[in-house]
Amino acid sequence: MLDTASRTAAGGQRSPLRRPDRRTLAQLAVITGLLLFAFFATPQLFSLYYIDAMTQVAVYSVVALGLGVLVGRVGMVSLGQVAVLTIGAWVAARLLFATTQPYPLVLLEAGVITMVLGTLIGLPALRLRGLYLALITLMLAGALAVVLTTTNFPNGGHGFLGYDASTVHIAAIRRPAIAESDPAYYRYAVVVAALMFLLVLIHIRTRPGRAWAAIRQSEPAALAAGINTTLYKLWAFALASFITGVAGGVLAGAVHYLYSITFPTQESITLLAAVLMGGAYSMWGAIVAALLLQLLPALLNNWGVSADWLTILFGIGVLQVLTTAPRGLADQVPKDLSRLGRLLLGLRRRPAPSGSDPA
Amino acid sequence: MPSWQEFEPFIVSGLALGGVYALSGVGTVVLYQATGVVYLAFGAVGALGALIAWSLTNAGAPDWLAWLVCVLVSGAVTLAYGMVFGPPLARRDPLVKAVATLGLTLVLFGLMDLLWTTNGGQSRAITLPTDNGGFTIGQLQVTWTQVIGLGAGIAIVVVTTVFLRYTKLGTAMRAMANDREITATLGVPVRRVEAAAWLGCGVIAGVAGLLLANLVALDATTLTFLVISSLAAALIARLRSIVGTFLAAMAIGLIHDLLTPIQSLSSYRDMTPFVLAAVALLVFSRHRVISLSREEA
Amino acid sequence: MRMRQNARGARAAAALVAVIGTLIAAGCGSNGSSGTTSAGGTSNAGTVSTSQCGTKPGVKATGTPIPLGGIVTNQPGTSFTDIANMANAYFTCVNNNGGINGHPIKYYIQTEQTNPAQVAAVAKQLVQTDHVVGIVGNTSIIECSVNHSYWEKLGFFVVDSGIAPECYSTPNSAAVNMGPRYSSDGAVQYALSQHVSKIVFDQSNVPGTGYIAAGPAALAAAAHVPIVQLTENVPISDANSVAIKEVNDAGPNGAVILNFTPPEALVILQAAQKLGLEDNVKLWGCSTPCNTDFLAKALGPKWNNKLFVNAELTPPDSTNTPAMRLYKAILAKYGKAVSGGIGSFSQMGFAEAEIMVHALRSVKGAYTVASVNAALKAVSNFDTGMLCEGWTYGGFPMHIPNNVDYTVTPKDGKMVVAKGCTPVSSVDPQIAAYRKAAGTG
Repeated sequence: MLDTASRTAAGGQRSPLRRPDRRTLAQLAVITGLLLFAFFATPQLFSLYYIDAMTQVAVYSVVALGLGVLVGRVGMVSLGQVAVLTIGAWVAARLLFATTQPYPLVLLEAGVITMVLGTLIGLPALRLRGLYLALITLMLAGALAVVLTTTNFPNGGHGFLGYDASTVHIAAIRRPAIAESDPAYYRYAVVVAALMFLLVLIHIRTRPGRAWAAIRQSEPAALAAGINTTLYKLWAFALASFITGVAGGVLAGAVHYLYSITFPTQESITLLAAVLMGGAYSMWGAIVAALLLQLLPALLNNWGVSADWLTILFGIGVLQVLTTAPRGLADQVPKDLSRLGRLLLGLRRRPAPSGSDPA
Repeated sequence: MPSWQEFEPFIVSGLALGGVYALSGVGTVVLYQATGVVYLAFGAVGALGALIAWSLTNAGAPDWLAWLVCVLVSGAVTLAYGMVFGPPLARRDPLVKAVATLGLTLVLFGLMDLLWTTNGGQSRAITLPTDNGGFTIGQLQVTWTQVIGLGAGIAIVVVTTVFLRYTKLGTAMRAMANDREITATLGVPVRRVEAAAWLGCGVIAGVAGLLLANLVALDATTLTFLVISSLAAALIARLRSIVGTFLAAMAIGLIHDLLTPIQSLSSYRDMTPFVLAAVALLVFSRHRVISLSREEA
Repeated sequence: MRMRQNARGARAAAALVAVIGTLIAAGCGSNGSSGTTSAGGTSNAGTVSTSQCGTKPGVKATGTPIPLGGIVTNQPGTSFTDIANMANAYFTCVNNNGGINGHPIKYYIQTEQTNPAQVAAVAKQLVQTDHVVGIVGNTSIIECSVNHSYWEKLGFFVVDSGIAPECYSTPNSAAVNMGPRYSSDGAVQYALSQHVSKIVFDQSNVPGTGYIAAGPAALAAAAHVPIVQLTENVPISDANSVAIKEVNDAGPNGAVILNFTPPEALVILQAAQKLGLEDNVKLWGCSTPCNTDFLAKALGPKWNNKLFVNAELTPPDSTNTPAMRLYKAILAKYGKAVSGGIGSFSQMGFAEAEIMVHALRSVKGAYTVASVNAALKAVSNFDTGMLCEGWTYGGFPMHIPNNVDYTVTPKDGKMVVAKGCTPVSSVDPQIAAYRKAAGTG
């Protein structure tokens, strides 16, 4: 029953056990090449300013990936992912101050605790659909933001909250021993991000991915096909929360100091805009979204262009994506490029331009 | 636990705050009833109008002209958005239409901060002639502007409810919000009705923007994202009832201010709208409904 | 066909409306103030030649530039660019009048949006890409906290306008202002001197509230006056409840002391006035951000001798020293980018630039990180003309060089002096620690 649904709903997806074809091999080569470039070449080529920005890109690509899973794969819009990020950052910061555990363990714990909290919050919200789900996540995010302004992030103090309000000397959140410097921490962040992407990829290629595709197509049909929609929707929430929590942990180490004012509720709106523009369905889209969110502002700041232009760009991007290119830039650009390629080929074959060229 | 005397002044201020939330919340729901779009850009459009009015007054224009331009600009921007982005999105999920208005919000917000930059130590303000003078309740003075703010909220609720329910144009709007295709086949001039709905909502946004700029602050960030808090009232009314939104907004404002003298909860009182909305939504969705899903988001 | 034409027509009409709307908005958009303060100032400004800022009047400096850097917050609702822009105006003046031994100053201003990663990144940009030899003009909510270790590691002695605790508690940062804690101390001190029976201290909920609150708490404790500590999330959306709470907690013989940015403080005070509550307490106080003529004008006559604002810097309207005249002249001639005009922000920028230029002039030989910062560290008892006393950097573990202040009150649309130079009380343990380290206690 599940197979039938998956075959019809998931379209051309194949079982992961088949021998990979040429296209998959090409994709693997590109991904490996990019990873190697990011890992080795980038720190040499760019100044520390851009290395810091790229570390943020690594962090937010994972956050965007989580939102992409929810929006693109399952069809649930969450306007509270930045709040989930702050939970992960908070937990990681608290553990890093209170214990001397190794960094990977702290990241894992941050991810797990965030996953548990995210799932607990997601459980009752799952009964809501579409617009109501989006709005309730916005409400919950708003509530959490207010709580955060009062509890603040841990800064080395004692007690459960770990916040010392009157310190004249705020302690810095530590980094792993192997990644103290900025370029080293950047590489660390890239590795963690790659692992998170791999985790999501495994999900997509196996049963959860097929179930999500079925649910996204039509939830009543998926239910009728025997898919436990509640379980899989919860699984999506859990996965998105886990990787966002881990990203929060990486963020804590990257910035050394966390402030509640860095995470206003409006950020979730900008995050959604970026994910929509990058493309919620494809994993490349998450990277594009992160570049839009973190690298582009760094570039603009350097060129003296006000950050407001970026806000306007995001607004226009959302409108454009929703009205014309529902699958976002990551899907649209290759299509546009191939169309351009065909156009050029057509022009070459027919030296005299005629008015009825295709595309 | 504080005494009754300590709570008393907060009832008055709570009602005033409720009026603020109502002005903002009702506007978002009105358009939803008329076009099926949750107009999240309501605050941003109102803020734009208010800032333009401020600029005009600063340049020496008479007050009434500034207010008129404010309302006209809000109406024009909303109408333009509705005409350009309404039809392509008409068949999409309400969620998609709402997220699209978020796009408009971002564009307006960036534009406002660019054109009316944040000065180092100065702020802008809209003063209305009704700011001076009012009456006294207990130890507090209530200005006429606050009364007008509350009154405007009530007026909008009454007028729009009556309009949507009893007039031909209103009924056409509601039909269109329900299903645009079928309404078109019934011979309703869909484009014109739509335009009327958007323009009407834009005008309401402009009026609300002026009042909110006076009652809260003439600050683009505050006014734009006030919608998030006032959305809570709309959600408690499940986006369905304009009267319900109004009553929920008043309740939220009252509870928010009544929490102020309670020491242990005071710093969390800004959570009030969000907590109430989340609880209400979860309570209302106890019975699960599988509706036929429309096209993909 | 007709439907499509209608659609196209409607779309065109809508687009036209949108364009017209944007044009109106662009035309009406103003990044100016509400017109209260202009760069002109008093009549004396015109008679002072700006060439006094340099050593060779009228001679443009053409040597190799001396690169300097500054980091300021600039985001919707909070903008400190005026400080850096005023410093830049001063440097431009110097460059047009001989420079530093013929070398012009090149000032790189980096803006940030209170994002710790970004704040750390721009510091590295200044050092590694722009190769600055000195840092001056920093005004940021979090920069001192995020970057102080970096500056200490590289040996930069930063001259800034402090906000975060680390601006005053670390060895490599010295501020021209007193910052929120010590300025609030000054405001509370004045209220205590008027024998109020209770203090309500309300501040904005930005990083460092506990650190800021500790100062007023110590002062109130030493005077045996009860104090209530409050914080408000900014931007304030419900000023009425804030004002009511403050007044109720203070009581008729109490004082309400505010520590907010001017727009937020104005909103609270105006709410109190609209509610008719302003006379329900003995007096109102405010830390230095409230010290602007704009606030005096916006508040109106009911607040004369009712609101007492702590002033970290010498009041520009009632001072006629050569330094003040030069400040106004430079502001008029080179300060087009300073949107706030005459006020504490531009005064701070002026003072910081003065100190930097004074230090640069004492450098013999090449202008390197080592030589410039050694000169900064050696600045001692320098008269900026903007402060009560001389300004000293020194090699101390912490720096609060500006610790003597004025108190001003609004009168007829201006801020006038209510009490002259008064040292901040050593009851605040940080002040005591600094005075001991600096040998001025």
